[in-house]
Amino acid sequence: MSLIEVGATGREDFKVNQRRRLDFRRRHSDRVVAGVAGGLADTLGVSDAFVRAGFVTLSMVWGLGVLLYLGLWLMELDRVEDIEIDPVAPHQALGLALGFGGLMLLLGVGGWWPSNALVLTVGALAFGTAALTDRNMPGPLAALVDPTVDRPGRLRMLIGVGLLIGGLAVLSANVGPIYEIGPVLLAVALTGVGILVAFGPWVTRLARDLGTERRERIRQEERAEMAAHLHDSVLQTLALIQRSDDPARMSMLARHQESELRDWLYGNLPLDGVDLLSTALKDAARRIEADHQVPIDVVVVGDHPLDESTRALLGAASEAMVNSAKHSGAERVSLYFEADDDELVVYVTDQGKGFDAGAVADDRQGITRSITARVHRAGGEAAIDSVPGEGTEVLLRMPVTAT
Amino acid sequence: MSIRVYLVDDHRLFLAGVRAELSEEFSIVGSGYDVDTAIEEIRGLNPDVVLVDVHMPDGGGIAVVEGVVGNNPDVKFLALSVSDQAEDVIAMIRAGARGYVTKTIEPADLADAVRRVTAGDAVFSPRLAGFVLDAFAGVMPSEVDPELDQLTAREKDVLRLIARGFAYKQVARKLSISIKTVETHVSSVLRKLQLSNRHELARWASKRRIV
Repeated sequence: MSLIEVGATGREDFKVNQRRRLDFRRRHSDRVVAGVAGGLADTLGVSDAFVRAGFVTLSMVWGLGVLLYLGLWLMELDRVEDIEIDPVAPHQALGLALGFGGLMLLLGVGGWWPSNALVLTVGALAFGTAALTDRNMPGPLAALVDPTVDRPGRLRMLIGVGLLIGGLAVLSANVGPIYEIGPVLLAVALTGVGILVAFGPWVTRLARDLGTERRERIRQEERAEMAAHLHDSVLQTLALIQRSDDPARMSMLARHQESELRDWLYGNLPLDGVDLLSTALKDAARRIEADHQVPIDVVVVGDHPLDESTRALLGAASEAMVNSAKHSGAERVSLYFEADDDELVVYVTDQGKGFDAGAVADDRQGITRSITARVHRAGGEAAIDSVPGEGTEVLLRMPVTAT
Repeated sequence: MSIRVYLVDDHRLFLAGVRAELSEEFSIVGSGYDVDTAIEEIRGLNPDVVLVDVHMPDGGGIAVVEGVVGNNPDVKFLALSVSDQAEDVIAMIRAGARGYVTKTIEPADLADAVRRVTAGDAVFSPRLAGFVLDAFAGVMPSEVDPELDQLTAREKDVLRLIARGFAYKQVARKLSISIKTVETHVSSVLRKLQLSNRHELARWASKRRIV
């Protein structure tokens, strides 16, 4: 048994235990009931969907599937982990399959085989479903028309559909009138009750164990997600703050982190994947704030989707913010955005040193020109109002085009 | 006699910071870390102003305001929060707070806000002005009380300037009106916010995301 440590993410050290062949553990993640079928699938090297189908089918043989499942569960009651197993070699798999087939034949010879129709029908339905729902496959209809689906995938799907139809056909042809299934189902039910009576205490223990385990698992997953997020954001920022000795930069980092964390906690995300101008403006403000170490207060009234012309507005507003942050010397910059039915309005205001519009340095004039030109091209207007000693205000307006 | 201030916040570190900033000018008569203690102490101390955090366990700032207002009608509340959640802030104002400022406010501005609230004025931070404009946005089928359900054009002008980061004094100059008039407009907006039955106020948060 070899132990391989994988620490590629650096965030958590996932230990992956490489086990020898034919070892079996209940799966911890990616499971439906208790991880027995998944674990078995890992051991056998087949898709877990098919193993589950096998259990369902065998359950039709006087509950054998359920018995097997519970048996394997008890066997591995305290051993739940995600391990990577070398699947069995082909000759071993063949041996297992032959052994299992023999067991089934023995049941048949002994007269303990239930109605063929039932087992075959449920088997066909279960395996058909498994083929259709196998994880690596897209939806059935998509697969039929999607040229990118590889041929084995398509073949598998056709077989799945075939099995489903076949199962239904066998059911209607062989069983005949529906009431004939009655005794068989009754027998299955009786077996189930028998198992419950005999193994009741164990079963309740298993159920309890399952409940606690599931809750624990959900809790752990939530913790892991939160830890990952906090690590990437808050902890990094705290580390940066500790290393910084510039108070302005520290407060900027804290501010940046605060708004990011708040967005994460309260989910300020666009609806239906539509990018909103308000979100884009906030992002831009946050970026500029971080780059230029000047706080930007953003106030938003109403909203509008981000499209061609509003992108121009966004670009012009960003330039105005950069301009204020870089040149005005103001302690903070305000961004105000209001959307009503006819018009979008953006104000970028600072109370810095301002400038004389007639006598500005060339580079600065270039920036103001580019702001104006940008908005004009998109069909809007821009006005820049600056008073030396009092501050600068850039006003951008954009008519709302009917869509 | 200096203004008597009581502080309510479950973040002790923040509380200590505010106390240090304000204690020179005001007399800090007490502070509470949780809703129940705060209500009890405020009822006993009857301070002039209570600075109260919006987000706290056991009902938050609203619970404090509601727990005190009936008993001590003269106590004024100023909401203080890091929250961006407009619903919570608007709810605080409707419960009786006379203003809302964000925790990133400069110490001098915070002191100014306390003075203003004590004098019976309303204190609107840029963010609150934005929230209110948003809440009163759109044309309203004026079935209830048109006077309470709409902002006047002048009130909107004042709010927009506040939202753009201007102080009351600058707002007054820009609109060529007196500071007193600005204060009157803001108080009138506050009254509308508290009394309006405009159902938009409850609904606006969901509406504002749909264009």
